[in-house]
Amino acid sequence: MKTYNYYQITIITITLLALISMAFKTIPVIKYFDDFNSEKSYEITYRYFFKTNDGKTRIRAFLPKNNTRQRISYEAFEGTKGITFEKKGENNNLKGVWVSHEENKHKNISYQFTFEGKSKTIDIPDNFKTHKPIYSDYLKSSEHIQVNAPEINFLAKDLVTEAKNDKQKIQAIFDYVYNIPATPIITLTDAVTVLQQNHASCNGKTRLFVALARNLGYPARIRGGIVLEETNKRTSHSWAEVMINGNWVPFDTLNNHFAHLPANYLELYIGDEFLIKRTAGIDFDYIYEIQRLKNIPFLKASADNFSKIFPLSLIGLIEKDIIASSSLILLLMLPIGGLLIAFLRTVIGLRTFGVFLPVLIAFSLLETGFVTGMLLFSFLILFVGIVSRPFNKLGLLHTPKLVISLSLMVLVMILGSYIGMKNNITWLTALTFFPTIILTISAERFSTLITEDGFEKATSTLLQTLLAVSVSYYMITSDWVLSIILLFPEIILFVIVLSMLLGRYVGLRFTELFRFKPLLNFKIT
Amino acid sequence: MLQKILNLFKLFKIENPKGVIGLNKRNIELIYANNQRKHYQLADDKVLTKEILHDNNIACAKTYAVIRRVGDIKKMWEDCQNHQALAIKPANGLGGGGIMILKKDGDGNWLKSGKVISEPQIFQHITSIISGIHSLHSDDSCIIEECIIAHPFFAEIYDEGVPDFRIIMLKNKPIMAMLRMPTSISGGKANLHQNGVGIGVDMETGTLTQVYDGKKYLDHHPDNPEKVFGKAIPFWKEIMELAVVTSKAFPLNFLGIDLVIDSKKGPQIMEVNVRSGLGIQLVNKNGLGNAISDNFLKHAISDHFKDSLFTNKKMVN
Repeated sequence: MKTYNYYQITIITITLLALISMAFKTIPVIKYFDDFNSEKSYEITYRYFFKTNDGKTRIRAFLPKNNTRQRISYEAFEGTKGITFEKKGENNNLKGVWVSHEENKHKNISYQFTFEGKSKTIDIPDNFKTHKPIYSDYLKSSEHIQVNAPEINFLAKDLVTEAKNDKQKIQAIFDYVYNIPATPIITLTDAVTVLQQNHASCNGKTRLFVALARNLGYPARIRGGIVLEETNKRTSHSWAEVMINGNWVPFDTLNNHFAHLPANYLELYIGDEFLIKRTAGIDFDYIYEIQRLKNIPFLKASADNFSKIFPLSLIGLIEKDIIASSSLILLLMLPIGGLLIAFLRTVIGLRTFGVFLPVLIAFSLLETGFVTGMLLFSFLILFVGIVSRPFNKLGLLHTPKLVISLSLMVLVMILGSYIGMKNNITWLTALTFFPTIILTISAERFSTLITEDGFEKATSTLLQTLLAVSVSYYMITSDWVLSIILLFPEIILFVIVLSMLLGRYVGLRFTELFRFKPLLNFKIT
Repeated sequence: MLQKILNLFKLFKIENPKGVIGLNKRNIELIYANNQRKHYQLADDKVLTKEILHDNNIACAKTYAVIRRVGDIKKMWEDCQNHQALAIKPANGLGGGGIMILKKDGDGNWLKSGKVISEPQIFQHITSIISGIHSLHSDDSCIIEECIIAHPFFAEIYDEGVPDFRIIMLKNKPIMAMLRMPTSISGGKANLHQNGVGIGVDMETGTLTQVYDGKKYLDHHPDNPEKVFGKAIPFWKEIMELAVVTSKAFPLNFLGIDLVIDSKKGPQIMEVNVRSGLGIQLVNKNGLGNAISDNFLKHAISDHFKDSLFTNKKMVN
């Protein structure tokens, strides 16, 4: 059969083409392959500006260290002449010390590094094992953490009267501290002062939480660092850690992270310290410059280097802002989403409204959020599908009838957005994110299906569409899928090959196994 | 492929001993392989279908009029007045929608289900058909044709609605057949997915077999306790011959033929379909795959055909 030969030749040609193109990139990918799987990546620059004093001028700042959830690379130090830089270890921390012996000179120094971070969530048990004696230092009182002050003592006992186990005790003091109103006070606030003022910033809250934990016999310490965001900032952050069964478990009482540390937290030091210390009386200013990097979870190199290593990847396009990354993602994910739908329809046997509607809806969910989006989508289809039904009975022509449904859809969207805007209900304003026309055609299909096959079958198709939307959503939000396709856009060629294979698939669909069950043999082996 | 994957897990094995054909296989190996897309309209448009049937002198309801424009309704309708009964249908109807059966009483009034219907009401119905309400197209044609009077054979099983035979033809050979019957809950419709029932047909003997209601098998119609299993179908030989002649008249090599038996004129073709449903396999407790090999193994077959249907080597992906 001739067509069969063309079929094979096309498949082989496209596959070879894609493989050859990908092979050029595979060697560097293998070289840079990485199992750290970072979630977020930033480039951070410390910049300090100062005027030296008489004699020796000294600046000290904590530098980041690698650990199981953060990795530091591409460190670079720069400074004006006459400054010496030294890294020193102190207890568990790493210090950078800059020293100048010149007098009355303006100086600036910078320290730059790349951060790759993962979030950390710890499942804490109800009851904790007794801690080892080496941790008893973390129970002691200090100047700003007054563990044994009467107020602290009273509050700690009072908070845990209802608690039945260790976890509930920690939860009780966490909730209490979290609910203290937050204020952006930069000055140092100690644990007792926080209680008296009943408001505090991160450092005050953290000290109070540590004081309460230590009072109840849980070794606890302060952790300092920077919350990384795409901005320049001057504020550092602190949170607490409690020793639970051999692990230091993070608690952020300002941002409500219970036994959890987000991927964008840069850890810098341990203990009740200041990020910067400097010779007293000098003119001094500083800024932390932070830039988000496009990270690829399974590759070591930072994004800066990608366009050099992989000229044929699309990362350069995003980096240089030639295409907005969101439109590029949309473009690349469309064929992949389409292939997924083709698979769901021809192999699984799902029935969906519109062929590509589920992919487009999944994209809308990126804006609205998954749950809200799914509810809004079902509501729009059901509502417009049912409201336009009386028009079916009037015996109108098909195209004008479709315009009526379209108008109803637009009215519902605008009305929803208006009510949402008036009453500050953000999820209602999200209605306009949906692809109106395709949604209308689906609502119309829904309405026709009710007439032809009954409400039950129409709802079943709607549910199957929702299922397809969920699967598409899961795939397009996967960082892995996205990174792989940015590195290897040749994958689109494989989409064609897979579609050709799928297009000749003659096996029974999964749902047909149930439909034709009386005629098939199911053997349990 | 799916079966192979499932089998790989060694959890259970799915066998298809009867050669059940799913939608994918039907589309690729039966419809696309045997029918050219440009010929689909010959089955989809009933006006074209009837032209071919009439041209080949194949027994079917006589066409009294085809109305394409609203302006023609009055004149065309007047030409139909010498008939005692007629059926008004959309040319591109879906699932039997828009069909109106009219009979004349002694005073010359038209009756619909025993009640007098006025001329303006009839015109309104024809207008709605022409404007495409029953067809999902923007416009359509209206066919006025001879009213078929069902053979008492059907009433013996169930006495309401419009029953018909569906015969699957491949390369002019009848492969599988069933009788579709309305039920008390199907609203006059005989389609399986609209609560009608399908009754299997033993093609060799021309007798009815089991009744399938979409969920379970019975040996009688759900509204009639009398057993139908083994009941002989009148004119069976003629039905088979008519199906073969019809199949030869169309350039479509895979098609589903719908026919009824008229009480006076015998078997009559109702319509032909390109995309025949697959529920007929459940009704007959047999896969189309096996039915096809049974039919073609007994006769000489071309190598090409052997290739595409009996071996799966083409499609193992």
